[in-house]
This record gives sequence, C-alpha cells and structure tokens, in this order.
Amino acid sequence: MNEWFSYLFEFKNQIFSLSVEHIELTSLAVVIAILLGIPLGILISYVKRLNKPVLGVVGVIQAIPSMALLGFSIPLLGIGTMPAVVMVILYSLLPIIKNTTTGINNINLQTLEAAKGIGLTRLQILFKIQLPLAMPMIMSGIRIAAVTAVGLMTMAAFIGGGGLGYLVFSGIRTVNTDQILAGAFSACILAVVVDGVFGIIESLVTPTNLQKNNTKKKLMKMERNTLKKGVLVSVACVLVGLFFATGISQGYTENKVIVIGSKDFTEQEIIGYMLAEAIERKTDISVERKLALGGTQICFEALKADDIDIYVDYSGTCYGDTLKYSPITNVKTVYNTVKKDFKAKFNIDVLKQMSFNNTYTLAVKKETADKYHLKTISDLAKVGNQLTAATSLEFLNREDGIIGLKKKYNFHFKDQIGIDGSPKYLALMNNESDVTDAFSTDGLLKKYDLTILQDDQHFFPPYYAIPLVRAGVTAKYPEIVPIIEEVGELLNDNVMIALNYQVDELKKDPREVAIEFLRENKVI
Amino acid sequence: MIEFKNVSKFFNDKQILRDISFMINQGELVAIIGASGCGKTTILKMINRLIDSFSGKIFINGEDIVKQDIIKLRRNIGYVIQQTGLFPHMTVKENIEIIPKIEKMHEEKIIKRTYEVMEMVGLNSDEYLNRYPSELSGGQQQRVGIARAFATNPKIILMDEPFSALDPITRLQLQDELINLQAKIKKTIVFVTHDMNEAIKIADKICILNQGEIIQYDTPENILKNPVNDFVSTFVGKNRIWSSPEFIRAKDIMIDQPLTCSKNLSLLECVEKMKFTNADSLLIVDPCDYLLGIVTAKQTQNRSDRHVLVESIMKNDFIKISSDEPIINILEIFKQHKIVQAPVVDEKGLLKGLITQSSLLIALSQQFLDTEEVG
Repeated sequence: MNEWFSYLFEFKNQIFSLSVEHIELTSLAVVIAILLGIPLGILISYVKRLNKPVLGVVGVIQAIPSMALLGFSIPLLGIGTMPAVVMVILYSLLPIIKNTTTGINNINLQTLEAAKGIGLTRLQILFKIQLPLAMPMIMSGIRIAAVTAVGLMTMAAFIGGGGLGYLVFSGIRTVNTDQILAGAFSACILAVVVDGVFGIIESLVTPTNLQKNNTKKKLMKMERNTLKKGVLVSVACVLVGLFFATGISQGYTENKVIVIGSKDFTEQEIIGYMLAEAIERKTDISVERKLALGGTQICFEALKADDIDIYVDYSGTCYGDTLKYSPITNVKTVYNTVKKDFKAKFNIDVLKQMSFNNTYTLAVKKETADKYHLKTISDLAKVGNQLTAATSLEFLNREDGIIGLKKKYNFHFKDQIGIDGSPKYLALMNNESDVTDAFSTDGLLKKYDLTILQDDQHFFPPYYAIPLVRAGVTAKYPEIVPIIEEVGELLNDNVMIALNYQVDELKKDPREVAIEFLRENKVI
Repeated sequence: MIEFKNVSKFFNDKQILRDISFMINQGELVAIIGASGCGKTTILKMINRLIDSFSGKIFINGEDIVKQDIIKLRRNIGYVIQQTGLFPHMTVKENIEIIPKIEKMHEEKIIKRTYEVMEMVGLNSDEYLNRYPSELSGGQQQRVGIARAFATNPKIILMDEPFSALDPITRLQLQDELINLQAKIKKTIVFVTHDMNEAIKIADKICILNQGEIIQYDTPENILKNPVNDFVSTFVGKNRIWSSPEFIRAKDIMIDQPLTCSKNLSLLECVEKMKFTNADSLLIVDPCDYLLGIVTAKQTQNRSDRHVLVESIMKNDFIKISSDEPIINILEIFKQHKIVQAPVVDEKGLLKGLITQSSLLIALSQQFLDTEEVG
C-alpha cells in the first residue's frame, strides 16, 4: 500500500495530466453523444418507422467489442483521440436514444391531448410538455452513458488517444500493479465524480415535481438548487478552462514537426523516446510522441494514413506479415525485399536496420527445462504433447509463429492458449502453462529467469529492428536519417535486454531510461 | 354560435357520425349524451379540430372552422378533460398561465386573470397557486382544469366528461358550482357526459346520440316529458322525471276540462249541474274563459233561496295556481292553505284546469305504479 502511495506521489504529474486528458476526451464524447442522441431519440419517437432501424443499428454497435470497433475505425479515422472519441460516442448513443424515446412515448396520452387541445403547437408541446416530462428518463440514460464513457475511454490508450487507459495498458504490459491500480483507481474516482455531476444536472433540469425525493420543503429546495447551480457552473468553468488551456497549447504548433509512433511494448517505447529525444536535441524539429499505439496493424495503418511519420518495425514482421511472403531465414534477403517493396508499394523509406534482432523465441521455466532436459526447440518437440503453450494472440495466428513452428519441428502441444502481454508470464509462473513465446530482447526474460530454447533448425525469421519513415519526411528532413542510424547502431541484443529490464523490472520511466542511455553514449 | 351542417365521420371503415346537423346558441350549455361509442366525444373534438377530417361543415359564428388557423382556433376555445388534463410537472399557476404566457399577454394582466379564475372556481390563490397537481384532490384538480379553460376568457368552452372520475359528492358540488358560474358568465359550453342526471341538472339543452345519429335535441324538460321514441324513453329511464320533480307542472297533472258555468246561472241550476256530474265544485267563468269565482257544494246546501244568481254567492278570494307551477309548490300550497282543490290559470287569468286532491294523488302514485307517463 505504502509503495503504491509513493508511486502515486512520484508520478502525480503524469497521473494528473492523463486524468485531465481523460476528462476532456470523455466530456467531449458525452456532449456530442447527447447532442446527437436526444434529437435522434425525439426523431424516432415521432417517426415510428425509423424506430427499429435506428435502435437496431445502435444496438448492434453496442455489441461490437470496443477493440474491434477501434480496429475498424483506424483506416477511416486514423489513430489518436479522434477514433477514441467516436467510439465512445457510438457506445453512448444507445442509452441516450433509447431513454429519450421511451421517456417521450411513456407520457400519458390524455396529457398530450390536453396540450394539443388548449392550442400548443407541436414544438411547444415538445419543449414544454414532452421533454420536461421525459427528463428523468433521459437523464438516467445520460448518466449511464457518462459513467460508461469514463470506463470505455481507457480504451483510447490502445490507439494512442491518451487518457488514464495509458497507465492501465502499460501497467498490464510490464506487470506493474501500481501503475494499473493508479490508472484504474483514477478512472473509478472520475466515474464517481462524473456520476455526481450528472446527478446535480439531473436534479436541476428535472421538474421539481417529478423528482423522487420530493419531501423537503420548497424553500430549502431553492437554496439547494442555488448551491447545485454553483457547483455546476464551476465544473463547467473548469472544463472550458481545460479545453482552452490544451487547445492553446495544441494550437501553438511549430512548422517543423514530425510524429513518432511506436507499438505498445516496452522496447518500442524506449526506442520511440530515444529517437524523439535525439532528434529534438540535435535538430530544430519538434517531435510529437504518439507512443504505445497498438500492434503492427495499427502502427502501419497510422503510418500509411499520415497520422505518424516514423515508427520502428521488425524486418520479419514486415516481410511475413505486411508483405505476406512466406518466412525465410536469410537476413539480407529479408531486409532488401522489405526496403524495395515498401518504397514501391507504400512510399515508405526503410532506414538501416538496427543492431538487435528481436526475434521470436520460446521460453520455459528453469524447472521445466531441467525436468525435460530442454535446451533447444527440437528437445521441446519431443515432449510437446505433454505441455501447454500460452502465447500472444499474434504468435498464435502467424505463419511464422506457432503454426509454422509446429510444421517445421513436427509436433503438437497438449493445449495452446492466447494471452496478450505480460499475463502470459504470470500464467507460466502459476503453472497454468509450460511454454510461452517471447521476444529475444524481452526484459521480462531476465526478470522471471526463464530458459530460452534455441531455434536449432533456424525456423524463426530475422526480426531486426528497422525504422520506417514516410518518404516525404526523409525528403523534407534528411538530417534525421543519420541520427536514427546512429542510435540504431548502438542497440544490440544485450543492450536492449538491459534497457527493457530497467523499465519492466526496475519500474523506471521509459523516457528517462532512453535519455540516460543517449547521454551515456554521448549521442546527446 | 356553433353550427354543425351535415357532418359525417368515418374511422377506417366504421361510420362514427351520420349526417349530423344541429346548432348551439350563444350562452347555452349543451350536454351531449349517449352510450360509449356513440360519437359524443368525436363531436366535441371536431369543434377544436382535434379530429380534423370529416365531411360536412362546422361553423363558429358563421365562420367555417376548417378555414381558421388551427392553433388560434384552439386558443379561443377552452378545453377541459377528464382526469389528467393538467400538466403534472407544472404548478397550478403555470398550468393556468401557459397559454396567456405563450400569447405574451401583459404580465400584470395575466396575474390578475389568474386570481380571477381561481376565485371563479372557488380555490384560494395564495394557498394553491404554487402547488403541483399531484398535491391536489381530484375535485381541486378539476377546478384548476376549469380555471385553465377560462384563463384566456374564451367564448366557447368544451368539457369532455369533466366530472366523471370524481366521487359522487364532489361531482354534485362541482355541478352546482358550474350551474352558478354559468348563470353569471353565460359562456357557450359544450359538455359531454354519459350521466343523464348530470345532463338534466346542468344543461340548457340535451343532445341525445345513438350510433352516430342525433335522436333528440331539446330541453331537458321536453326530453323527459316527450321522448321522441322508445330509445330516448329507455335511455332517459321510465320514471326519471321523478328525480326532477321541478319539471312536473300544474298543467301536466290538472283536470283539463273542469266543470264551469256562466255567472248568470241560478243556484238551482248549479246544484243540478253538480249533482249530474257528481262534482263538488263549479268554476264560474266569463265567455272568454276568464275565471271569475268558485262555488262549492257545501256553499249551496245552506241556501234557502235557490233562485239567486250564482254570481252573488260565489267566492272570489280563492287560491289560483299558475299552469307552470311545479308539483312541489302545489303540494306546499295545498298544505299551507288547507285546501282540497285549486283552479289552474294562465298568466292572463284564463282558466286552464283544476287540481284536486285526487288528481294530485293520481299523479304522485304514478312513480310507484307502472301506469301512463306523466304529461
């Protein structure tokens, strides 16, 4: 517990700024959802024909897993805050639309007839009678949407949208419980606060007579209302202030900006920070960091969509995954093919490959290795049918992953499970699995003291790190190329393991680790 | 004021109204009555165009309502409905002032009018204006409903079974107040009800509907006494009139052709006449039937001179009853003056008939014995 508090204290600035980001994104999404949802709800309660299709579509959207929705939206909306906000809007629509139309349709018909009969116009009936009477229902829909939105917005971090989800995701990745807790706890507090704020709004906009706790004297109620209005106004001021503050800082953009992205694991973040710091300190270009975006798919789409300018991928991934060639082991052929094809097909420059090969490898616990005398994958193949493999989802589905591996070594596992991120190590430690895939530079290998099995039949293709840069960027800023290549030369397998270990195990900030390394090696 | 001309209405394929034509005069309270599904509410809702498509024409003050602006038309017609006509989220004040405020009437005028209508319906403004409908009893809610209808001071008020959801005592009370109110303000009120007692009590005219047709449109008294057909008499109820005895008048129960004679007859001739017809009194009239006096059998018995003219012995300070006198008053008069009979005269003093104790007995016995209708 104490550790956690000291963690909170140490990272209070980061937590605060992520919370602010989270609040901004959430309120933006909820406000837009309200502006869309209520009119739609009104529309479908008037035009009954639209009722089923609209609620149907919104309902189906609700059923799509948020990850999948984000995945779909990247080609259309790119990465960052935009798709995250859109996703939260889409998920918020159902309760708002549904409750609006239910609220309006549940109004006593005689009341409406009286309204019509005494000569109110359609609009007057809507605004003076229907909406006020439906307000408790509408507000409860909005409250549900708002609280859910706070939780959902953590998914924004998955595509580089920021927010508290960043802490949760990076915590899960590095088995940093303090960080996960910090993110989750802040999100919970935020949800409670949001619920409270919307509760106040609800009691202000709901006609006095329709409120549930209607027993207090009216005078008291009026005093309380003034108080509530005060709270609300201050909340609104803070929000507007936040938007202005960040709006201005975003509005102030220098002409020379490049955007560096990265995938969502430690090594990628460290390299991302290294490149960013090196470029910023050695040139007059400012760098926007969109790190920990997601998997290969997301980063590559973002690069193609101009959302980012640079990220580092791995030769084998580009060759087998993106270009869909069947995996081969020749380092040179792989690199040259990727370089040539990327330029031709995507107009992306592939810079010189870095000195480390973060290839796949299989790892087992020391006891397992001792028990079955495992040193190589060939050894593993002999006892594979007694072992359970828990690997990342990507590895599970790749031709150059478990599928090809089993063909090459001709064996089967007793069972194979897909688990992403660091929980697969936990599964290993808890003896829920026996074998896991790992990257050869993974700091967690050191942390959990795992035995790496040698790829004695050379199945895994080379996965040297290769910086991918949009061709336009290399043309515009040729000075960044030597800087990136200088950093790349310094990074060999052992250096990378050590750096990863510092972040994953010693819980250092990846940015600090990156800067420290650059200083030690006199890059900056 | 309001005129229906050959109005028919179909809902889908079902004919709700069949060629309705009738006229509601200014200042009249007309009750539209009939079994449920007879089209009475349809008629009401056509007047403020809540039901807007029909064949035929409806005029208000000679103007075809279809040609008027629908919102304006409705705002010039008060509308009171059963139960939940009030807006639950608004206070009494807000409910009453909704249309005046929308019409942007002068603020002070609105407040003044609100107090006026509240007083009109017998509610204390200071006590009730800031309450919500749910804080009022059913009767109070309906009073507010009526107040709201009067807020814009419309000439026409439509009431759709306004009292039917109230308990009987409150209902009677509100009916009485409506009658008093109407006596003062003389609005044109169209009042839909399914309660015959209510219609007879409050209406100037009653319009009886059956299956989309007007069966009889007349004053309550005429409907009670002269139902046009079996439907009306069954609908009204056979002995219904006894619950409204004020409609049973002297002319309905009197002996139409009492025994009369001229003032020039001798006493002897009078006695003969009475003996012959077995009557115990004679009414003396002039040639125009003007009632001059009365002679009873008792008076003739002690007379020795049987040749005097009847003129000289007849009584002329006797009690006369007007032909429109209700039966209750007649009983009262008989009791008070200890008389056994009284002649019935019109406003000019011309003899119309005679009421005796036995004719009263016959009339009163009709409510218990299933004999001929009164009147």
